[in-house]
Amino acid sequence: MEKSISLTSEQITQDLLPQKFGKRGMAWTTILVVIALFGLYAYYRQLKYGLIVTHMRDYVSWGIYISNFVFFVAISLVGSLITAIFRLTNVKWRTPLTRISEIIAVSAIVFAALIIVVDMGRPERFMNLFLHGRIQSPILWDVIVISTYFFISILLLYFPLLPDLKILLKFKEKTGKRLNRLYRFQGSFWKGTKAQFQLSDKSISILCVLIIPVAFSIHTVTSWLFATTYRPGWDSTNFGAYFISGAFLAGSGAVVVAMYVFRRYYHLEKYITEMHFEKMGRIVVMLALVYFYFNVNEYLTPAFKMKESEHGLLKQLFVGSYAPMFWFAILVGMIIPIIVLIFKKGRKPLPMFIIGIMVVVGAWFKRYIIVTPTLLHPFLPMQNVPTSFMSYFPSWEEWAIDAGSLAGALLVITFFVRIYPIIPIHETITEQNEKDESK
Amino acid sequence: MKKMNQNKYYLLLAFFVCMAVSHKAIAQNDSVKPVSIVTLRYFNINNNMQYLLLKSQSKLGRVFTPQENKSYEIYLDSSTQNNLIGKVQTDEKGLAKAILPPSLAAQWNASPQHTFIVKEGDEEVLSDYTITKAKISLDTTTVDGVKSITASVMQLNNKNEWIPVPDVEITIGVKRMNSILPAGDEPTYTTDSTGTATAELKKDSLPGDENGNYLLAAKVEDNDVVGNLRFEETVPWGVRTEIDRSFFKQRTLWSTRFRTPFWLLFTVYGIVIGVWGTLIYLVFNLIKIGKIGKNTVEQKAEIVV
Repeated sequence: MEKSISLTSEQITQDLLPQKFGKRGMAWTTILVVIALFGLYAYYRQLKYGLIVTHMRDYVSWGIYISNFVFFVAISLVGSLITAIFRLTNVKWRTPLTRISEIIAVSAIVFAALIIVVDMGRPERFMNLFLHGRIQSPILWDVIVISTYFFISILLLYFPLLPDLKILLKFKEKTGKRLNRLYRFQGSFWKGTKAQFQLSDKSISILCVLIIPVAFSIHTVTSWLFATTYRPGWDSTNFGAYFISGAFLAGSGAVVVAMYVFRRYYHLEKYITEMHFEKMGRIVVMLALVYFYFNVNEYLTPAFKMKESEHGLLKQLFVGSYAPMFWFAILVGMIIPIIVLIFKKGRKPLPMFIIGIMVVVGAWFKRYIIVTPTLLHPFLPMQNVPTSFMSYFPSWEEWAIDAGSLAGALLVITFFVRIYPIIPIHETITEQNEKDESK
Repeated sequence: MKKMNQNKYYLLLAFFVCMAVSHKAIAQNDSVKPVSIVTLRYFNINNNMQYLLLKSQSKLGRVFTPQENKSYEIYLDSSTQNNLIGKVQTDEKGLAKAILPPSLAAQWNASPQHTFIVKEGDEEVLSDYTITKAKISLDTTTVDGVKSITASVMQLNNKNEWIPVPDVEITIGVKRMNSILPAGDEPTYTTDSTGTATAELKKDSLPGDENGNYLLAAKVEDNDVVGNLRFEETVPWGVRTEIDRSFFKQRTLWSTRFRTPFWLLFTVYGIVIGVWGTLIYLVFNLIKIGKIGKNTVEQKAEIVV
């Protein structure tokens, strides 16, 4: 364990103030902008020519758009884990990770909502969901719960940011006029009075309690979109818990990756320490074990029974054309992380970063495995249909839009880090002062 | 005794070997030439719609296999282009259907008897399927509560007159789903010299529609002279069926949005109001924080002044 270093308030503030992009930052941002613009162009083509530019047809009507949607929803769940659960359980070391996880949650949920609109094909009909929606439909529940979760996440990001905005306002010369204007607009009313802190703390506590059931709902309802549709592979009562466990794992993997990148790029080694990686490593291995357990449940019981309808799907997943992707998702997304993270050396920053990437990539492919193969195995055999209906591989437009959405989510995080401190300054100073006093 | 038993087994073995060899020999003999068999059937439904059903099969040994995607031309009376009923292609069951076109109405009406010709390319594969125009009519009587159905089969003669057709096997009954439930004890009846056959309705209390109606039906199948005839007539002899439409008024998870179950409405709106109410409260907290800040500024300003 690293020794805790005593830091002055000035030093903490200087270390954690948002910094201008360097050369690498500019290159990173440019690449993301180019990918996002390419995605926008592909979406323009989809709007112009219709969903025919995708390779989704009558059978596979949910392709990588929906896989990507489920992936984003999964990633977003991490906000509730790090911010709310850790706060309510009084986990002290959470402080440098809360804002990272919250901005990941916000950016992911924004693009989850956007990718659904993309999947609709006719975005101008979006309002019909509300005008003619049936409250019996899980799709409408999903719309309600996503918008609620987005609003809670924004508030949970904003309330703890208020004391930091006051600090940022003092550094007009360093942050620049434009940003200063933005900070003033967002937080000039924060004076740091006792009454303000009381109200803010109370609001944050309420939000932390509120976000947990809403976060569980968002992923349970998303799982119900599948489980309430009678299809081989989706006909499961286990789906809610299975999706939530997977979401916690994917989100934690994303946080680990972000921790490593911010730590290295902004030289935050004093704040995001090896202890944080050690603790997060333990959490990831526990979540991977839980998710692996649910996977065993999800595949072993139908494989044991081998009902005729499930047989074709399971055969394709285990030994058929989807086997490489299926075993990749299981091995890379769960088994290898479990093996590596069991060992103390595996919980060091660099191995953790690599494992984090593996978890996130594995999570994306796992969602693809959940969505597409099932749609290619309907209960009634495919007969008298064009050959193109019988298989699915995304078109370049679909890949571009998906890549664009991922780049968009990363851009939101990138710009947030450019504008706001990614580690809460005020909270870090308070904790440091408490530590110093206790000494 | 032991030897006798042994011989018995040898004889049995020899018998099975002979059977197997002879079967193979027959199969080999047959498999040399698969034979293509084309059959045609004429249908007249309710003395109105007329169509032809072609069946194409290949015979290999004792096995009949449907011939898919085979093209045929069907002609009326002579294989000239003017008499072409239609070009058809068989489906996976080896079946193809052709409806008599209106363009051949004059020719159809000109004679009481017609021959259908089937060609595959330039080869005539069927030329001897002849039918005589015929019709079925139904008459119903009720005497002392006993309901009877009389079916008459009539054919057109050369003088354009309808004459009775005797000795035709006919099914008389009640239409149920896609088949006919025989009215009496007999599955079929045969027409007498007056071309009629009468069946007594033995099946009471059959369900009808909302008004108690059901369809009586009579059919002649694959008759050498008249082909396939079918006639249906509605009678109010059934038991009225009360159709339960209350299903559509129920509040269920699968009904329209205007019939959402109350428990779901209360649950969803309860949660939404609960959560969003809390969020609105938090927004008010934010406004309050803003006001506190503003007041603090004003107080400071007062001090400075």
